[in-house]
Amino acid sequence: MKYFTYIFRNIRRNKLRSFLTIASVSACLFLASILASFTAINEEAASGTRDFNRLVTMSSQGLGAVVPIVRLNEIRGLGGVEFATPFSWYGGKLGEEIQPFAQFGVDAETIFKVYEELVVPPEDQKAFIQDRAGCVIGRKMATERKYQVGDKIPLKGTIYPFNLDLTVRGIYDSPPKSDGRMCFFHWDYLEEGLKRDFKGDRAGNAGVIMIRCNNSKVMPDLSKNIDAAYSNSDTPTKTQTEEAFSKMFAEYFGNFKDVISLVGIVVVLSLIFVTGNAMAMAMRERTTEMAVLKAIGFSNGRIMFLVLAESTLIAAAGGLIGAVGSKLMLDAYDISKFFAGFLAFFYVPWSVALIGLAVSIGIGFLSGLIPAISAARLSVINGLRKVV
Amino acid sequence: MADGLAIELRAVTKQYKRDEFTVPVLESLDLVVREGEFLALMGPSGSGKTTLLNLIAGLDYASSGEVIVHGQDLGRLSEGQITRWRANNVGFIFQLYNLIPVLTAFENVELPLLLTNLNRKRRRENVMTALRAVGLSEREDHYPRQLSGGQEQRVAIARAIVTDPYLLVADEPTGDLDRKSAEEILNLLEQLNSEFDKTIIMVTHDPIAAQKAHRLLHLDKGQLIGDVVQVPRLGAAS
Repeated sequence: MKYFTYIFRNIRRNKLRSFLTIASVSACLFLASILASFTAINEEAASGTRDFNRLVTMSSQGLGAVVPIVRLNEIRGLGGVEFATPFSWYGGKLGEEIQPFAQFGVDAETIFKVYEELVVPPEDQKAFIQDRAGCVIGRKMATERKYQVGDKIPLKGTIYPFNLDLTVRGIYDSPPKSDGRMCFFHWDYLEEGLKRDFKGDRAGNAGVIMIRCNNSKVMPDLSKNIDAAYSNSDTPTKTQTEEAFSKMFAEYFGNFKDVISLVGIVVVLSLIFVTGNAMAMAMRERTTEMAVLKAIGFSNGRIMFLVLAESTLIAAAGGLIGAVGSKLMLDAYDISKFFAGFLAFFYVPWSVALIGLAVSIGIGFLSGLIPAISAARLSVINGLRKVV
Repeated sequence: MADGLAIELRAVTKQYKRDEFTVPVLESLDLVVREGEFLALMGPSGSGKTTLLNLIAGLDYASSGEVIVHGQDLGRLSEGQITRWRANNVGFIFQLYNLIPVLTAFENVELPLLLTNLNRKRRRENVMTALRAVGLSEREDHYPRQLSGGQEQRVAIARAIVTDPYLLVADEPTGDLDRKSAEEILNLLEQLNSEFDKTIIMVTHDPIAAQKAHRLLHLDKGQLIGDVVQVPRLGAAS
């Protein structure tokens, strides 16, 4: 602690260089924390669905293919199934916004039974069921876009050649770590458009079928049975838990986790080089001072400590601003609204922020190692000869 | 010391390696300095003055021979041991002061005390005593850039004496100062020698500065060629 003044003053000695070094560390760790949070949040969002005993039946050919709607009633009749609803992506455009939020054609009667954690007032639900062009939207979406019950949402088809003119009939509330920006409308309304304006192409299908089971124990057998029943049909299915489905959905974007790990390694290496270069420059400028400190009795170990403490403090300051700053900033400002329903919520978990801070400390230590060893090995005579 | 010897050099040789060449700097040099002596080293550039000073101060090792300071054979100390020995026994005064620019006068003087076990209060007392001794106690919060050259050198002297070392080594302490400031520094060194009984070895090119010493050694091509006693009370060393 008694060396703190010396270390702190040296950090402030070349303010611009220290600022730029801290800024580069903080900017990189800010982005790295956000990227790392994607993985952590996807895992959390997926595992958060475990309690709801839901299965998802999709085409075995992937999300680009569909499941015949006749399967819905067949599945509803299976033992262990409590409720099931079609779940069809519309992908409409709102004004100039392309994919402003997620819109799904669903069965109005059962959607909030399958998604029991989404709560909509009974009178709103009734109004939704009664209005074929009605929709229910999430509270976050309603708040951000200032929608109220009765407002119109005119969606322009981007996948299908017809538009949907929806009316908000209800607003659902959802737990904090779930999607509060979905828009549910009648699957029948989508079907009607397909038959009317798409020559019936793709009509009679659902994107996927969401199933709520009466308990988790039936889920393994149930999923096997569903898929086995359709394995020899023209439209074989793949049934999996909602958690597995979410993870698979995330993997559609590629091996995100490995990409993030690779980006993280590159970021750490480049920061070691940037900070190491700054420290090496600082030490070159201070060769004589280091020699003086050694002359008056500072040991090699103390010299190393002073250099390492300085580089570690600089990098840790960057880490604090970048990693912990990203946590605080994204707690205050929700950026999940920009993900068009692909990300239900977003925040930087404390674990990610603290790992970021620890990484910055490691960066500081490693980047200071070579300058510290050089300073410790400096010959006093050679160091003093520079000016004497 | 019982025998009153501060420094004793026996057949000291120092050579430097420059690529495949061996450059002799000091050759079979013998020297005795008594406790409380103020010794000036003069000679042309490259004569080995600073090398001799470095050997006495424990900054470098002799190639052969013995360097004994305050009863300690420096050649027997490891790098770590000699570093600790310097911290306890030697105060350094450099030509360009070599203060740390980001530290105040107080903090610069405090630096050697950070290596001790003294608490904050005791360190403050010692620093202020050293600053008072050089007449700069009112400038404790000033940074080196806010001080004149003479004042900077006085702070450097305060840093050199704050641990109450046995030996003060000064490498051209007035070389970068005007005559008036140089005179003040020399008077200060003289005072440290006479009042506090510090043994001082000073390298200088300045004959006026050398006159302040009790004894004047001339070096040329690594050999002592003159040894002039200027103050009769100390007696000749060789």
